[in-house]
Amino acid sequence: MKIAVVGKGGAGKTTTSAVLARTLGRRGARVIALDCDTNPNLGLSLGVGDQETERLLTLREKVGEGTAEHAPTFHDILDRYGTDAPDGVRLSVITRIENPEPG
Amino acid sequence: MADSTVMIRVAFVGKGGAGKSTIAGTFARLLARGGEPVLALDSDPMPGMPYSLGVAVDDCPIPDDVVVPGPEGGPRWVLRPELDAAAMIERYAATCPDGVRYLQFGNLWGHVVRLQQAQHAWSQVVSELDRDRWHVVGDLPGGTRQAMFGWAKYADTVCLVVEPTVKSLHTAKRLFGVTGARWGPSRLVLVVNKARSDSDVDRVCERLELPAAAAVAYDEAASRGDRRGAAPLDEAPDGPLARSVEGLVAHVQSLYSSI
Repeated sequence: MKIAVVGKGGAGKTTTSAVLARTLGRRGARVIALDCDTNPNLGLSLGVGDQETERLLTLREKVGEGTAEHAPTFHDILDRYGTDAPDGVRLSVITRIENPEPG
Repeated sequence: MADSTVMIRVAFVGKGGAGKSTIAGTFARLLARGGEPVLALDSDPMPGMPYSLGVAVDDCPIPDDVVVPGPEGGPRWVLRPELDAAAMIERYAATCPDGVRYLQFGNLWGHVVRLQQAQHAWSQVVSELDRDRWHVVGDLPGGTRQAMFGWAKYADTVCLVVEPTVKSLHTAKRLFGVTGARWGPSRLVLVVNKARSDSDVDRVCERLELPAAAAVAYDEAASRGDRRGAAPLDEAPDGPLARSVEGLVAHVQSLYSSI
């Protein structure tokens, strides 16, 4: 099962995603939670705490700056840019290279 | 009333749903009520400002045909030779209640790829805008992305809109990191929105180490209006939201009169 949660800012995407992930985890499913938001807060809603959420963001920024390597495989992404959240959920932040500035 | 010869240039940033568009649109109208020329700039590709401005058209993106391919080695798209910032506003900025003019960057109702043309047109209009002609009230999309990529460069004051939730605070912290270096604490204006108690406001101020220029109380009537798309100023003209934003306008004006 692959679920993407979308909507306007403040509508409750992150909260819904986190509850969904942990509920599935509690029922015994193996769950990967991917935070694709440019302003990633999913860790806060999953309950991994402030510091860990910021740590993942910092890791991702390093990739963006080019001071860290992109993960070559999906498993590397989960391993390097991820952390364990409650109820067996594995959280990982995801990024891609792009520059939206004009010019 | 502050010295009206110095034009305000303010941009609203914050987490999605924090209330940037609501406050920015209300701010623009209240500023314009004093007889000031106000240009509202909405760079959110899911524009929310029309609702708080109370303008009938919510869909008025910059058309594609305002640009032509740029010169060799220059930007990919430039405004057609007969168009400049003033002409763009004259033609494409919607006229709102209280006389506010509203320029919308673009939106995602249409095809995504087109935004590239609008983006070049937008950045040219913003950079060539006559400083002395307009007060500028800008609304950025939620999150940190546009601020990080310099979309608020036109502003000399940044309003950080924060609700008293952990997620909103985290976003504000990140935005503070992005904007703090450029604007400095004297030009970073903190607005605590949807505050339900003094302790809500205190918590935000403590965490960000900034005083609150305005604390906007939760406004039941304005919220009801929000469900129908009615502007706070039309739905609850004397409500807590309108009154707090009035205070915010006075605060921002005072920053300019002391220059």
